[in-house]
Amino acid sequence: MKKKVLATLLATAMVAGCLVGCGGGSDSGSGSAPATDSGSSADSGSSADSGSAADSGSGSEITDYGSGTITIWVAENTVEFTKSKADEFFAAHPDMAGYSVTVEPVGEGDAAGNMLTDVEGGADIFGFAQDQITRLVSAGALSPIVGDNATFVSTQNDAGAASAALVGDVAYAYPMTSDNGYFLYYDKSVVTDPTSLEKIVADCEAAGKNFYFEINSGWYQTAFFFATGCTLTYDTDSNGNFTGCNVDYASDKGVVAFKEIIELASSSAFQNGSSISAGSNIGAIVDGTWDADAAKDIFGDNYGCAKLPSFTGSDGNSYQLSGFGGFKLLGIKPQVDPGKLAVCHALAQYLTGTEVQLARYQAVSWGPSNLTAQQDSAVQADEALSALAEQLAYTIPQGNYPGEYWDLATALGDDVISGTISTSTSDDDLMSALQKFQDTCMSYAK
Amino acid sequence: MANDAKSGKSKVGQFFSGVGYDFKEIGLTFTQGDWKTKVSYLIMGFGPIMRKQFLRGIAFLAIEVLFILYMVGFGWGYLKDIGTLGTVARVMNADGTFSYNDNSFLILLYSLLTIILIFMFLFIWRMNVRENRNEEQLLAAGKSLGTIRGDLHSLLDSHFDKTLLALPVLGVFVFTVLPIIFMIFIAFTDYDANHQPPTNLFGWVGLENFKNLFSFGTTGLGSTFLTVLAWTLIWAFFATFLTYFCGMGVAILINKKGIKFKKLWRTILVMTIAVPQFVSLLYLNKMFANDGLVNTYLMKWGWISNTIPFWSNPILARVMIIVINLWIGIPYTMLITTGLLMNIPEDLYESARIDGATGFQMFRSITLPYMLFVTGPFLLTQFTGNLNNFNVIYLLTQGGPHSMELSNNAGYTDLLVTWLYKMTINDSNYRMTAVLGIMIFVVTAVISLVVYGMLPSVRDEEGFQ
Repeated sequence: MKKKVLATLLATAMVAGCLVGCGGGSDSGSGSAPATDSGSSADSGSSADSGSAADSGSGSEITDYGSGTITIWVAENTVEFTKSKADEFFAAHPDMAGYSVTVEPVGEGDAAGNMLTDVEGGADIFGFAQDQITRLVSAGALSPIVGDNATFVSTQNDAGAASAALVGDVAYAYPMTSDNGYFLYYDKSVVTDPTSLEKIVADCEAAGKNFYFEINSGWYQTAFFFATGCTLTYDTDSNGNFTGCNVDYASDKGVVAFKEIIELASSSAFQNGSSISAGSNIGAIVDGTWDADAAKDIFGDNYGCAKLPSFTGSDGNSYQLSGFGGFKLLGIKPQVDPGKLAVCHALAQYLTGTEVQLARYQAVSWGPSNLTAQQDSAVQADEALSALAEQLAYTIPQGNYPGEYWDLATALGDDVISGTISTSTSDDDLMSALQKFQDTCMSYAK
Repeated sequence: MANDAKSGKSKVGQFFSGVGYDFKEIGLTFTQGDWKTKVSYLIMGFGPIMRKQFLRGIAFLAIEVLFILYMVGFGWGYLKDIGTLGTVARVMNADGTFSYNDNSFLILLYSLLTIILIFMFLFIWRMNVRENRNEEQLLAAGKSLGTIRGDLHSLLDSHFDKTLLALPVLGVFVFTVLPIIFMIFIAFTDYDANHQPPTNLFGWVGLENFKNLFSFGTTGLGSTFLTVLAWTLIWAFFATFLTYFCGMGVAILINKKGIKFKKLWRTILVMTIAVPQFVSLLYLNKMFANDGLVNTYLMKWGWISNTIPFWSNPILARVMIIVINLWIGIPYTMLITTGLLMNIPEDLYESARIDGATGFQMFRSITLPYMLFVTGPFLLTQFTGNLNNFNVIYLLTQGGPHSMELSNNAGYTDLLVTWLYKMTINDSNYRMTAVLGIMIFVVTAVISLVVYGMLPSVRDEEGFQ
């Protein structure tokens, strides 16, 4: 057949969107509902007016901010919202009104890729998923946040979100949401006991329904490994370079977790996936808050949410599934003009302050990272959010991972799904596979 | 072959004797020329201007002035850093702002451009020298020089080819030649995720990337490269020849006398062409997924107890891709071969029948040689096209399933070109993708040249006339 140039181009354009920087399927592009951080029941009380701080962080007072255009990239469904909030900001700060704002729809997944392609041509302020931060810092696409602005980041947001904005010990972005995590959606008529993985699988098998768990994603896969106490984190210096890797997958606890993944994959009910709309015949699915509406549509009256189940490992112990907690951030591109830099910081701070985070939750249901906003009653009443909040207590705040890690995790998961590694694989072979995984993980840190 | 080598040698010889002759002529022009010509060696176009050839003279002069301005104002600034590709990276100022300094990407790009412009300038300088010599010889012979009107008119007459080609050649140079040269040079640098301008610099690393591609240690790409290359060749072979023979078979079947509803069968087959591959392939990907229609229904009817891993088992995924490619490829081949088959002289078959030949014998001795002769070049383009058939692979599997056995995000169904795409888009690993790009070129070029020489229509041009 003739090769079709047009089709190739279309395909490229379409898939590029899915691929660019979409690390481990952390669903950075999707809107999501708010998370009540279970660890933040005591409000920190330091609720300074988030919109008014306007110094550049270096301490020097700027009187003339100059003029120009500030480009902002946000997800498509928040373009209107961001534009109106930015206008409100400039109405409240006439001294900075020399700047005009252009808001463009660039998803959090694409923003990193687009910035990296052309830093100088990229947006001044852009939203991105937190797993992209290291890549952005190492490419020099993020301006460090210092002084009062850094204090704002660390005191106004929940601990997970604040630490997600750090690379080394320097903050590089303003947390916008704390709602990136996964938990269990299930059909109440199928799953009788959502607290046990074995029972969920058995129920789904008996009902001829599918149980979705995306085990070939570096994001969902960690639920098993972290559950048995394995660690996998990277140390970064303040330039975004990976300096060290702390990983112990190649251990007895790693083997226990790995065996559980293999066990799960061998079930006839198991399906690899984490998207309700792409799935079929769903009995239960491990997914995030962005799919809450889809889950309600599919399960109807039988809609149920729960924290992830626990499982009985091959060593006889019971383990609670863990995983990553994730965040959306707003970053500022390095600027050459100090006046513009100050305005960008003030604007970004306003867009991630208490008031705007709450308004954003009401407009597009993105869960706030701001401590005060999290206490709002509307944010606190939501089934999916409660389940996520419960699960977040067992998760590890997602740090920074090199892009290659996500590819490697997919390879590990695919080996299980393709049957290259199966229930009949010996413990020694499992260990050597994990050892290879661990060695490769470590080779990414230089 | 011996002949080829000989003629190759003489071509090289011709080139060098040509260069030698050029230098000799430049020297002769200088020693034999008058003072106007001698000054022209430094000030281009001086001779023609003094000989009242204003258009040519001013054009040469303008080119020299522009070239000097370009070199001073732009070119030299980049060209002087070509050895290091920049030494000062971005620095952060005290007030939190940044100053951008050297940009390796631009240094490499503009240096290449400048080098090419220098060669072009030398070529024009040589034209300038020859112009002087021609003018002197014409004057010495007592002939008159051309007029401006004549020069301009020649652009629409004897030099009309140059007028027409100027724009396309410029476009091909800027959008094709320069990027290709640039890409080749990238293969010798460490331009990757950790060395991205303008923040970080990249530099020359020599042949390190090529060594990496062919090293079989734990970190090298050697075994992955061979796996991907082997599958690329296997895929291209099956995708080309299975589609070809099956398509021809279908066409012969439909062409047979006594088959009813010929148009209906053809229409049904051509329907697959009417649906864009983009749609049909993505749809098939969903259909054969572990939770797709096929598996769901097979399980519902109780024919299987576990899902069939159409896409997650490496062997099965490869077979599926080839089979699905048959489905979209057969109609095209059928369309092309239908007309050709009808074109085979009927008397050949008649005499074969009288001699008692069977259907298969007729196919092997009449149909196939004729078809191979006519469609040989088409087959070759199909094969090279399939080596780089991004669509089918990427829309069906994205190269998966992946495995720990393969490094750098390669999967068992990845072609070199899809692997290259993933490495560029996901991992910003430009240094290795540049090397891969060169390898793809080598593979495609070698196969094309070898097969082209073997084609019946090339070896025996008059075979079927």
